[in-house]
Amino acid sequence: MTGIVPAEIGDAAKADALLETMRAAGSAGQGDVVTYFEQLEGGWSRHSYAARVAHDGEERAYIVRARPSGSLLDTDLGQEFRTYELLSDAPLPTPGVHGYEPAEDTPYDGPFFVMDRLEGHAPNVWRGRDRKKLLENWEGDRQVATDLVEHLATIHLIDGERAAAAATPRTFTETVDRWEGVYDEMRLVNDPVIEEAYAWVRSREPDPVAPCLVHGDYRIGNCLTDDRRITGILDWELSFVGDPRFDLGYMSLDYHAGKFTTPGSALLNATAEHAWFHERYTALTGRPVDPEVVRTFTALGALMLFSILTTGISVYDQGATTDIRMAWGRFALPGLRQDLARLMDW
Amino acid sequence: MFNALRSEQLLVGVGRMLRAAADADGRLEDYERSQVLSAYSVTRLLAAEQAAARELLEWTRAALDRALAGDERAEAQTARDQFVAAVDGTELGDALVELLAALPREDPTRTRVHGVLREMIDRELSALAAPVG
Repeated sequence: MTGIVPAEIGDAAKADALLETMRAAGSAGQGDVVTYFEQLEGGWSRHSYAARVAHDGEERAYIVRARPSGSLLDTDLGQEFRTYELLSDAPLPTPGVHGYEPAEDTPYDGPFFVMDRLEGHAPNVWRGRDRKKLLENWEGDRQVATDLVEHLATIHLIDGERAAAAATPRTFTETVDRWEGVYDEMRLVNDPVIEEAYAWVRSREPDPVAPCLVHGDYRIGNCLTDDRRITGILDWELSFVGDPRFDLGYMSLDYHAGKFTTPGSALLNATAEHAWFHERYTALTGRPVDPEVVRTFTALGALMLFSILTTGISVYDQGATTDIRMAWGRFALPGLRQDLARLMDW
Repeated sequence: MFNALRSEQLLVGVGRMLRAAADADGRLEDYERSQVLSAYSVTRLLAAEQAAARELLEWTRAALDRALAGDERAEAQTARDQFVAAVDGTELGDALVELLAALPREDPTRTRVHGVLREMIDRELSALAAPVG
C-alpha cells in the first residue's frame, strides 16, 4: 500500500501510459501533465483509476479502466471500449472515450482505456442510507426511476445489427451455456441448488424477440446519480447483443434491491415499484413485459452472478489474487441460492 | 453449506489485509480502504457461520433423512448412507448432486428434497445475519 501524497503522483509509469494513450488518440497534447492519480474502490474484473490532467492549464478529470492479468472474468476490454464509442451519439449519459491500449504488457498489468470522469456517485443498495435516498426519490418526483427506465428503453432501441459493431451476439441458450461453462470450470464444490437451477432455466426458454443491445449488468449501482437524476451509465463489460428481457430480469433480483443476509428494499433495484417500471418500459418500447419470462431471466441473472462470484473465489483459492473481496463473495452465495429457490417455487 | 474456501484460507486473507493496513503510509486509498472493510466483513460473517455450522449440518441431515423415508430405490439408499457419513456441507452437497442426477425430473422425493434445501438456505441466511459476540 502506498497511500496518497497530495500533489504527488504515486505511480508515474501508469500516469505516463495514460498520457501517451491520450496523445495517440488526439485527446492530450505534448505539454499536458497528470496532476492527480488514485486507484478507486470497486471493479471486480476491472481496475479503475481516477486521474486529472492539466490541458494548457485547464484541468479535466478522467477514469482509466484496466483489465489486469488474472482478473475475475475474461471479458474483452476492447468490446467495452467499442460499446462506449457506439453510445457516443446516443441520448444516454455515458462518458466519452480517449484512447485504448490493447497490449498486455502495460503498467496496468494489461490493456486499458481512458474515459471522461462523469459527475455523481454510484448508489450502493446494500447501504441503508443509499436505499433511503432512493426511496425518498421514488416517493418524491421519481426522477431516478424515470431516468432508469427511460435509459434502459433507449439502450434496447439500439437494434442488433447496429449493436453488433461493438458487442457479441448471444442467444438465450448461448447465454445459459456461457455462464454454466464458467460455473463448471470454476466451481470448487458441488452445489445441488445451482445444478437444479440451470435445468429449470433451460426448461423455460422463452420465445425469441428481436435482438438488441443488452447492458448485461444494468442496475442502479452501475449508474451515477446526483441523488436526483442519473448522471452516468457505466460498466458495460458484460454487454451483448441479445434478448432485452435479460436486463429486466437481472435488475429484478432481490440481491439488487439490497438483500444480503437480510431483505433489502421492496422496490425493484431499490428504485421503483415493479409494476410501474414494467408499464413505463412497455410504453417506451412497445414491448409488453411477461412476468414469467422476467422470472426466467431473473434466475439466469442470479446464475450469472453466482458464476462471477465463483470465479472470484476460485481465483483467490489458486492464489492468483490477494483481493479479499473475491473471498468475501463466498458469503453472497447463500442469498443468491435463496433467490433461486424462491424463483423456482421450491 | 455448499461453500468453497476453508476458514483458515479466509483467516490468512484477513491477516494479510491487517498487515498491509498496518504497513500503509498515510491515508488509505479508496481501493485499500475497501479491502480493509471487506476483511472486517469476512470476520463477522465467518464467525456467524462457524457458530451455526454444526447445528445446521445436523438439521439438514435429519431433514433429508425424513425426506427420503420410505423411498426404497437404490439411489435413495445410497444417498441416505452418504448423508450419514458426510462430515460437512460440501460432502452433503456431493451426495445431493448425485441423488438429484439419478432421480426423474418429476419425482416426489426430488420435490421433498427441494423443500429441505429451501428451508436449509433460509436457516443459513438467518444464521449469517445473527450477531456473534
